[in-house]
Amino acid sequence: MRVPARLYADEDLLDAALLDNSIVQLVNTATLPGVIQYAIAMPDIHQGYGFPIGGVVATRLPEGVISPGGVGYDINCGVRLLALLVSAKEVRPYLEDIASRLYANCPSGVGAHGQLHLSNTKMDQVLHEGSCWMSGQGYTSCDDLDRTEEFGRIPGADAAFVSDRARERGRNQLGTLGAGNHFIEVDRVAEVYDGATAVRLGIYEDNVAVQIHCGSRGLGHQICEDYVGRFQKTARDYGIELPDRELVCVPFDSNDGQEYFRAMACAANFAFANRQLLAHLIRGSFGEVLAGKIKDFELHQVYDIAHNMAKVEEHELNGRSVRVCVHRKGATRAFGPGSSVLPDDLRDLGQPVLIPGSMGTASHVLIGTRAAMQQTFGSTCHGAGRVMSRARARKMVSGTALREQLRSRGILICAGSMSGLAEEAPAAYKDVSRVVEVVHKLGIGRKIARLEPLAVIKG
Amino acid sequence: MMSFEEIEHTADRAFRVTGHDMVALLENAARAMQALDGDGAKTTAERVETREIAVEGVDGESLLVNWLNEILYLNQAHHLVCEQFHIDELKDHRLLARVETRECDRTYTRIKAVTFHNLKIRETSEGLEAEIVVDV
Repeated sequence: MRVPARLYADEDLLDAALLDNSIVQLVNTATLPGVIQYAIAMPDIHQGYGFPIGGVVATRLPEGVISPGGVGYDINCGVRLLALLVSAKEVRPYLEDIASRLYANCPSGVGAHGQLHLSNTKMDQVLHEGSCWMSGQGYTSCDDLDRTEEFGRIPGADAAFVSDRARERGRNQLGTLGAGNHFIEVDRVAEVYDGATAVRLGIYEDNVAVQIHCGSRGLGHQICEDYVGRFQKTARDYGIELPDRELVCVPFDSNDGQEYFRAMACAANFAFANRQLLAHLIRGSFGEVLAGKIKDFELHQVYDIAHNMAKVEEHELNGRSVRVCVHRKGATRAFGPGSSVLPDDLRDLGQPVLIPGSMGTASHVLIGTRAAMQQTFGSTCHGAGRVMSRARARKMVSGTALREQLRSRGILICAGSMSGLAEEAPAAYKDVSRVVEVVHKLGIGRKIARLEPLAVIKG
Repeated sequence: MMSFEEIEHTADRAFRVTGHDMVALLENAARAMQALDGDGAKTTAERVETREIAVEGVDGESLLVNWLNEILYLNQAHHLVCEQFHIDELKDHRLLARVETRECDRTYTRIKAVTFHNLKIRETSEGLEAEIVVDV
């Protein structure tokens, strides 16, 4: 280990982390060349591949490394939250219709195809411009870009470093959800903890909100695969020895490091564009059902955040500003008040942080804090965190029974795969409220509101 | 003979596969991954097309990962279900294979990619063994 490892948890969450190989994986990340301060794990830590999910590692630039496996295959997997100024009570009679329209209009499944087929020229534009390209196509509403991490466009993207195969896999996938733990969820704002901040974000108790959880689809998977594969040899050329080959990495400022970073930025932009188009399709779906029935049902964007990304950031360390590459694998940026990268209207407040729960359980809206800037390179948790393997969840839970059970609690589920649904059962996850309580009490995220699900569209 | 078992993994999926030699390990790993993903691998297409595939790696482990990723790619990009795997040639971490495929109307796989996580091809008394983690 080059630095210590630090885990944020309470006693129970620590016990859960000790059940699988999460801690070994955390320790492994502390061996990355150039890592500084400590390798960090959030309370939703669980076993991944290479990095633990819930891991944050910063490497000092220029000599530090960038690790494609540390970012993972679903580059810029993230969450977008839209909110309505309409109460759940008003929407509930139309919920079944809304869920059906969302399921029909937002294709799901690993290789699902959307409505857009991107030519090479348009693909390059999406990869370079992200959500900004969607704006030019009429797929954004007024505040969408301001309310997106990096304003929906990661600088430094260069499509020259994206393979033909990655383009091929992504060409038809804009506006699609994917599979695994991806979802669209219609929620009710069940509780507001900080009314003044919530109002600034357009969040009001009992109103409806919609979450989108997905990423860069096949394009991002292929970019990660391309560079993890290529660096198996390249890393040896740099003399880098690691305890796990999935951690493979190269110096950030090397040609190899820059090529990956520029390709990763393309995938990140593709993911922003993907969630942007999904937001457009969701707005359309609500319109199809609610037009003429409910007034003022516009869906405004609260925020869009990434939780699988490597980013170049400036952080203060021991009183000095340092330039670092922050890898967040299943962790969320949580910049506090005063951060210069936030839009003007959020700068005094801090960055909104979106923490989805497991299916059928609560989700949370938090705000970034100064303590996160001081302790965790401006990072916090990203979700509930799994505690049960997918294989065991399939054995223990019937997808069909789970769907009926949730329906009896007033939660509608639309899913293409019952075994996929079983894998995402609430019992397979930690208690998200407990995870959020830890980050709130330790100050690396501050609770603003809690959301409860009304309808879930599963990828 | 196919020989594999799914092993526990918290977030993703993993399996252990064996083979009496490297060719058998590669073929069995492909069958194992298909079986793991099998509940979606349905097609009514009758036409079987044999595709020739060339894959290489820098060592045995990277050849194994690249081979499995190639099979995922055929499904995700071309909507092909791969049913039979025959490795005709294996030399210097490069393989030539024939894969029997049928068209399907969608991607069936829920696997995003095959990882290198803790991947090591080990020699056993009966041949070779590897544990493979896939991202879902």
